[in-house]
Amino acid sequence: MTDTAVRGDLAEVFRRDYQRVVGVAARVLGSRDEAEDVAQEVFLAFGRSTVPAGEATGWLAVAAAHTALNLIRSGRRRTSREVAVAATADTVAPDVAEAVLTAEERARVRAGLSRLPQKQAVALVLRHSGLSYAEVAAALDMSPGSVGTTVRRAESALRKELIRHASSD
Amino acid sequence: MRHPTEGVLRRLVDEPAGVSDADRTHVSGCATCLAGLATAREDAATVHAALDAGGPDADLPAAWQRLTTGLADTPRPAPARTRRSRDLFRRPVVATVAVGVVLAGAGTAAANDWLPVFRTEAVQPVAFDTADLIALPDLTGYGDVVVSGEPDVRAVDDAATAAAESGLTVPEVTELPDGITGSPTYQVGDQVTATFTYSADRAAASAAAAGEVLPPTPAGLDGSAVQLVAGPGVAQVFESRTGVPGLVVGRAVAPTASSSGVPFDTLRDHLLSLPGLPDDVAAQLATFTADGGTLPLPVPADRVTTSATDVDGVPATVLETRDGLLSAVVWVSEGTVTVVAGSLDADEVLEVARELR
Repeated sequence: MTDTAVRGDLAEVFRRDYQRVVGVAARVLGSRDEAEDVAQEVFLAFGRSTVPAGEATGWLAVAAAHTALNLIRSGRRRTSREVAVAATADTVAPDVAEAVLTAEERARVRAGLSRLPQKQAVALVLRHSGLSYAEVAAALDMSPGSVGTTVRRAESALRKELIRHASSD
Repeated sequence: MRHPTEGVLRRLVDEPAGVSDADRTHVSGCATCLAGLATAREDAATVHAALDAGGPDADLPAAWQRLTTGLADTPRPAPARTRRSRDLFRRPVVATVAVGVVLAGAGTAAANDWLPVFRTEAVQPVAFDTADLIALPDLTGYGDVVVSGEPDVRAVDDAATAAAESGLTVPEVTELPDGITGSPTYQVGDQVTATFTYSADRAAASAAAAGEVLPPTPAGLDGSAVQLVAGPGVAQVFESRTGVPGLVVGRAVAPTASSSGVPFDTLRDHLLSLPGLPDDVAAQLATFTADGGTLPLPVPADRVTTSATDVDGVPATVLETRDGLLSAVVWVSEGTVTVVAGSLDADEVLEVARELR
């Protein structure tokens, strides 16, 4: 379908928002390479969409967060295995212990994110990616007042998750 | 005055200008709130560090090159994408929804009406809040939906009759999980064809009723149609010891969709831009490119979790309710979708799935 029109403001929006969209996906995925794949996917969809220009930033950020969250949810078992493998590797190769620890922590963050309610996870990632409370509220169709509560709950749950796993080692 | 909410305390951490003077004054003199603020600050910092992926900025010119190549190569996604993430994106899975459409007629939720428009043979779970699913608009608000060929779901005597009437190979369950007993009952559903014809007038009326203004209709869209063909399908139902259905094994010819008039993406994008669809839901659905096979399966993430696995080498998706009561595994192979579901745990349904003959 090469006749599908590509929107005229794509280049401008791309220059303005691409780094941020990669950043949103990277916070979810813990990998900038995978985050770039997500950003490409999201901009492809945006390029053919009729999303109003004024809503583009929020739309792109939300789409990136959802796409990345769906990726880690669909790969949850892989993540669990990564944790197990990382834990084993720790005893085998002490010189890579630090790298392994990082990988393990990242896997825990991914697992924790995938267990949060979707809206909490998206609001959390958007706020930590630098969107203002008003921008998060507009992008997720929430009241600005409820953004703080949603983000706070997500942080509390995620932190508990990180502590729980850390203390169970 | 009452203590400000935890949300207000959270905003004080990183956007204090957004908090009212009264709240700020209260917090500065309240030991309880100051303690809450300290905890909020600590949690925010920990999570911020945990989410930080680090690394250099993306190479913008290279990324732009890749994007424009991808757009020119429509409808296939960017060719530079790594294989691993391609596979994750495309992991073919099947909708319990699609099976439900085939075996039980059109679904009751409006979301089910959306699905057929979206795609064909493979499915990827998409997480929604239950509230968002309910908020999905009914397609009939945007045009005419004509269903021809009722599914006519009916019980048949045995597997041979089910196979003859559906034209499908009926999967044979070789070993039953604990608590499931006896012989199954068989059900067959016929092929269903649904045609959705977009009507600019109807969409305008729906938008007006919702107090919204309709975005401009792309040229040629009015009167264009999307046709879905699904089924036939067959299901076998085993009872548990308590007499309720304990295990269901269903198989159906996977839905296929075709559109008339304008390109499919034009219709899809226009529908997604219409008033009434929550922005975050539209954003999720829009990321499904018309790549020839991915049907988004709306999964209420607050109730159901999904994970990826395989059944005899074919990628499959496991669905589990968070209360642990129901599990299902769905997969697509050679144009048919198969689902094994029951009041069992995920390992049990997987074992049944992998032992099917």
